[in-house]
Amino acid sequence: MRLDRIWTVARKDMSEFRTNKYIIYSLVLMPILIAVVLPTIYLAPFTMFAQPNEPFDINIPDTDIRIGETFNEGTFANVTFINCNLENVVAENCRFESCEIRSSLVRSSHVANTTVINGAVMRSNVLNVTFDGSVGSDTRILGEDTEQEGFLFQFIGFLMLFFILIPAIVPTVIASYTFVGEKLNRSLEPLLATPTTDAELLAGKSLSIFLPTMLVTWLSFIPFVLLVNFLATPIIGHAPLPDLTWLIGVFVLAPLFCVMSIALNVIVSSRVSDVRASQQIGSLVVLPVVALFVISLSGLFTLGPLVMLAISGAIGLVDVGIAYLTLKTFQREEILVRWK
Amino acid sequence: MIETRGLTRKFGTITAVDDLNLKIRDGEVFGFIGPNGAGKTTTVRMLCCLIAPTSGSAHIHGLDISKPEEALMIRGKIGLLPEMPGLYESLSAYRNLDFYAQLYDVPKGVREERIQKLLQTLGMWERRDDPVGKFSKGMKQKIAMARALVHEPDYLFLDEPTSGLDPEASLTVRNYLLDLKKEGRTIFINTHNLDDAARLCDRVGVMSTRLLAVGTPDELSGMFWGNTTVVRLRHIAPGMIDAVSSLPGVTGVKQEGSAMLVDVGYPEDVNPLITKTLVNMGGEVLSMGELKRGLEDVYIKLLGERR
Repeated sequence: MRLDRIWTVARKDMSEFRTNKYIIYSLVLMPILIAVVLPTIYLAPFTMFAQPNEPFDINIPDTDIRIGETFNEGTFANVTFINCNLENVVAENCRFESCEIRSSLVRSSHVANTTVINGAVMRSNVLNVTFDGSVGSDTRILGEDTEQEGFLFQFIGFLMLFFILIPAIVPTVIASYTFVGEKLNRSLEPLLATPTTDAELLAGKSLSIFLPTMLVTWLSFIPFVLLVNFLATPIIGHAPLPDLTWLIGVFVLAPLFCVMSIALNVIVSSRVSDVRASQQIGSLVVLPVVALFVISLSGLFTLGPLVMLAISGAIGLVDVGIAYLTLKTFQREEILVRWK
Repeated sequence: MIETRGLTRKFGTITAVDDLNLKIRDGEVFGFIGPNGAGKTTTVRMLCCLIAPTSGSAHIHGLDISKPEEALMIRGKIGLLPEMPGLYESLSAYRNLDFYAQLYDVPKGVREERIQKLLQTLGMWERRDDPVGKFSKGMKQKIAMARALVHEPDYLFLDEPTSGLDPEASLTVRNYLLDLKKEGRTIFINTHNLDDAARLCDRVGVMSTRLLAVGTPDELSGMFWGNTTVVRLRHIAPGMIDAVSSLPGVTGVKQEGSAMLVDVGYPEDVNPLITKTLVNMGGEVLSMGELKRGLEDVYIKLLGERR
């Protein structure tokens, strides 16, 4: 297989795409929709009304530390309590570690590994605190995701799945023009009469679909990450993207889905003689991605790096099988005699 | 040389080409004439290694069309002009040719020079940067012709090169083919245009699934008819036909209006006798000449017999 011939075919096809407005629309509009419009529409309103969860900036001097003591009534400020029992106290700007606090009011403090009974904790950072008949108001829960953070992560994951959807859908549009278009244009016969092998032609044509598709996918990933981080960081307290799971998703799984989509569309193109029919049937390739959406949203399992790698491996194997079938389909005689 | 032996191609139960045996010499222009569905395009596709024969064999330049490695080499030596130009309509004329030149491994410097020469010869150089989609059918055909020649192939296969062209475009293509003929290229032409075949081709094959006849246009004519002398008279009097029929060397006489078609063995010996006989009977001979039978007559006779 000669790489220069593959590149010649790919470059020619890409030159043609530049003049096809439908391909240009697909390559430009879909990434804009997914990378900019969707996160803006769905995340911006949520982040506007969500409570930020950054820890309060509270500085407690280490000068007054009480360990293992019991306090009944009193007002405290700038004190660190470790393993203490407190009742009927008012504390401000204090630190509580492994304490039991009863019928008390705590403000602007750090409370950790502590049980609060019949009291109130206000404007404080809390970590592993049990509230028993107590109220926590304007607290920042450390060490675990709040409900809204959980929703945000799930939603970001949902939006990330679109980055696997782009490389599955865009080839449907392009392949329908490159293969069915050549058939309709009757330009396949002189092309097949050149000393180019079937595999070189197939690889060149596939490359011409793969390169622009993955380029727009990866390019649109950058504004998406920036936008999501800009909107979600105040709520979560850190930048949620890029994380390892979605780096594998976008840079390993997405190209594999793209290859699958191209290969399936070549097979579809060989059986239809109409661009729209090719697009409609070819678009069924998104079904595995939709299945991934459903599984992800149903919470059957969390999409972690290992799960993502396992899915990538499975799709990779499917790709090898479909690529073999495609090579069998894309043969000169088949194309000229049987391609309708 | 192009050589086929028992070349056959079937599509299911339909036989498109049946037992084709053919030898085309290097530098020869060979024409394939026949009705639609006669197997002409299928033959070209087999020879261009696009589809495989069901049985039989074919060799081009000593290379076997059925062996994949040799087929790849054959494709490098041939140029194909299919029935439809099949150009990339959104690309310019130059880009179309440049793409094919690259696939045929024409070096970059040579490529530019050759494309310019071809487009200038075909009168398309000024339109080189225009998208092919804006061209007329004739202009597209010229670009397709240039595409088939961009790698200077030894063998050129042309499927209906003047089909659907206006007379001017048709003339340009025909003249260009005559130039190519002078260059000594081996050219295989499928055509419905018998006039083109007669003017361009050294030999012609009449095809209707099977090869019905092959030879130079004159040879084909001689296969079915002897020499016929046409005698035009002011008036054919009773008895004249019988008198001419009884002359030695005359094998048949037919009347067409005031003309007499006389089949003769040797015109040089018999024509003076015919004139003398007719004049003696009071006939006024206006002209006398040889009846030319063209490819059209051969074609119609052969296909008529086939039906």
